[in-house]
Amino acid sequence: MPISTGRSTKIYALTWRLPIIIWQFFFFVGPVLFMVAMSFFLVKNYRMTEAFEFINWYKMLTRGYFWDSYKYTILISMVSTVCAMGLAFPAAFALAFSASETTRRWAIFLLIIPFFTSYLVRTFSWFVILSEGGVVNAVLGHIGLGPYTMLNTHFGTLVGYMTLTLPLVLILQTVTMSNIDKTLIEAARNLGCKPLATIWQVIIPLSKTGLIIAGIFCFILSFGDFVAPFYLGGSQETTLPILILDTTKSGQQWPRAAVVAIMMMATLFAIAFTGIAIAYRKRKGA
Amino acid sequence: MMKSNHTLNVMLTVYVILIFMFIFAPIIFSMIFSFNSQRFPTIPLGHFSTEWYQKILADPDVWDAARNSLIVSSCTAAVATFLGFCTAYSDYRYNFRFKGPYLALILLPPTIPLIIMALAMLAWFSKIGMSGQIYSIIIAHSVLTAPFAMAVIRLRLSQMDPDLEAAAWNLGGSEWATMRHVIIPFCKPAIFSGLFLTAAVSFDEFAVSWFVSGLNKTLPVMILEIVQGNIDPQVNAIGTFVFFISMTLVVLAQIFFASRQMKSF
Amino acid sequence: MSDALVIFDKVQKKFGKFVAVKELSFEIYEGEFLAIMGPSGCGKTTTLRMLAGLEAPSFGEIHLKGKVMNDVPPHERDTPLVWQSLALFPFLSTRENVEFGLKMRGVGKAERKERALKWLDKVGILDFADREISTLSGGQKQRVALARSLVMEPQILLLDEPLSALDAHLVIRMQAVLTNLQRELGITFVYVTHSQSEAFAMADRVVIMDEGEIAQIGKPKDIYREPANQFVAEFVGRNNILSGTVASFERSTALISTSSGSFTVPTNSVQLTKGQNTSFVISADLVHISLEKPASINAVYCKLISEEFVGSMVTLFLEGAEGSRI
Repeated sequence: MPISTGRSTKIYALTWRLPIIIWQFFFFVGPVLFMVAMSFFLVKNYRMTEAFEFINWYKMLTRGYFWDSYKYTILISMVSTVCAMGLAFPAAFALAFSASETTRRWAIFLLIIPFFTSYLVRTFSWFVILSEGGVVNAVLGHIGLGPYTMLNTHFGTLVGYMTLTLPLVLILQTVTMSNIDKTLIEAARNLGCKPLATIWQVIIPLSKTGLIIAGIFCFILSFGDFVAPFYLGGSQETTLPILILDTTKSGQQWPRAAVVAIMMMATLFAIAFTGIAIAYRKRKGA
Repeated sequence: MMKSNHTLNVMLTVYVILIFMFIFAPIIFSMIFSFNSQRFPTIPLGHFSTEWYQKILADPDVWDAARNSLIVSSCTAAVATFLGFCTAYSDYRYNFRFKGPYLALILLPPTIPLIIMALAMLAWFSKIGMSGQIYSIIIAHSVLTAPFAMAVIRLRLSQMDPDLEAAAWNLGGSEWATMRHVIIPFCKPAIFSGLFLTAAVSFDEFAVSWFVSGLNKTLPVMILEIVQGNIDPQVNAIGTFVFFISMTLVVLAQIFFASRQMKSF
Repeated sequence: MSDALVIFDKVQKKFGKFVAVKELSFEIYEGEFLAIMGPSGCGKTTTLRMLAGLEAPSFGEIHLKGKVMNDVPPHERDTPLVWQSLALFPFLSTRENVEFGLKMRGVGKAERKERALKWLDKVGILDFADREISTLSGGQKQRVALARSLVMEPQILLLDEPLSALDAHLVIRMQAVLTNLQRELGITFVYVTHSQSEAFAMADRVVIMDEGEIAQIGKPKDIYREPANQFVAEFVGRNNILSGTVASFERSTALISTSSGSFTVPTNSVQLTKGQNTSFVISADLVHISLEKPASINAVYCKLISEEFVGSMVTLFLEGAEGSRI
């Protein structure tokens, strides 16, 4: 709606446009850029001095423990993504195709609730439930199984990741699949496509973009979370977020933590962009 | 054919229920544990007790943290919703150069892992001498939650008849008067929705708060520190308390959301 | 119909590279009911929006009451518009909607209410004053939109396809309401529509636009009887257009031979030369249909192919001797 461009109109437009620019430059772009700068600072006698040295980069990137942690974090985040996507898919499929509109809406409403309950409290709850004398082992004991050690294992970490990611992945998958035109599926079935083949040949290609986005979100969340590996995984293996935490909180080595953070962000951007590129590439051909 | 379909449906339904049980188990158990007398809850459960609630209510630290949380979330809500509104309106009304980067500026923060934001904020705030204050948390949370407010308000604006604003100008309202008498009244439900939503997100956030809060702990930071120590069912009591506050905020946001859907007809 | 209230002086409007309105020049007189008509995308709505100040002309000037309006922002013009979408404020009651413009102009509360109620009464929906907009019917909303604009007591009222969303029977009713109001108030109405029946039923003068240009301006009857070109003829009449070559011509008539036969056509003031390709229109109301073999001039013997009813009108599709369709 372009109207006559007087001065008052321009002032009006800028009044709404500027606040976020100023605010985000000062409190979002500023911190992120400063963190990048900080990775070149020096720490002497527990005090940070501004400098431009590559010592932190060198120290971090030549250490075996950094790369171990890097590989482990990527691996466990990928496992987490595969688990969450795989666990959510049948449920999302059921909600999208066999559930009624009302059921689906209620399901999505219920799935929003976890976002507003403290993730910490939920993790702590798992801690109690999964512990050796906890609820799960008590139930298993009644049928003569166990006790199993579930805490401080990769399994524990994964349970934590699922707590964090499953609701979101399930919502995204359900919404994506319920947007598929049902007649296309009927058409495929009509043309002799078997149920399982329909999923592979029709449903997954049609919901590819949404599924990849769900996967990316799941990976980002797992990759950046320190609570699950810390409390449920017992820091068996140090993930990058825990590395940041340790380096910042105990060692006062903020510049090295910044190096880890930048490496994490670079990895996430690379993965997110690749994912988005794949998600939208084939669509053009279709 | 029909039969296999039927069994498949039953299996899928059972599966969906199992998944939901997994998702809600920690929430429900945490509530149960909060009323359980045992220090280390298992099955069979101990007897009903409000011991943990009495304990937290008697703890002045909890009260301090609760007060901090309340201040942080309400101020965050106000700032984030204001920023979100400005951005949503700019996006709705104008086309301008660099609009893509402009929108990225507000939408990007939630996609960056909180631990990284926490580190960046901590370093920046100490650099500019703003660390360890309540307002440090408020500022950081506003950056993180403004996109949520923006999304809700933008959605509302897209439901508005595009002629409505022009109609108000046409009837003699200046742009400012139109903002006051048309745009804001129209967006009011979404503005409230955004306020409650951002308050709820802020109320639960712990990573960034933990890094930048200094001595001004919020409730989630307090939980984090208790959990680090050992198993203490107080956490469940605080958690349940936090849960009900968050849920109240979310339900309020939903009510405004629903009422606006009705009104748009 | 004396002085020019509005003058469009070589007004042009571009959206990027797309030219919506090309060099538009015409006048709108005081107290007339002017319809601007044309197919969608012809620039008629843009023209109206420029008059209301919602679009700025790229070139040219628009004068209102002798003043150049180009740089006057919309809220400082007195050109209330009745929107196609109605654009009623959903969060206000009927009366508050009507009061809106007065409130913006700083009119006191008591006077606002009094004037709003007066106009709600005039458009016949006084009983609905305190209702929510969402509870009104289409026709009632239409009247609220009308009252909301008229309460400003403007000299000119702009209407942008206001009846397009209504049922056919309501359209006829609202047409009567509009023409009566216009006569009674004596103010200028500028009415944009794509519907020939609406324009011809209400307007004193009609502007027909095509691709950003004026195709013809004139009284409905003149346009109907003497379309300026084939576009107008097709747009106005939709059919009964015959093409042929001029076989011979006299002072006021020409004999034109077409594939359906030869016709003697009044030339009015159009200059024709022998052998020239031309086309002409036979107004539907002047066609006589008879089952007898044609004897007189200007008659064609046809086969009836199909018929189509629209309201009280019947369109006949006929096939002439050589397969030409009429």
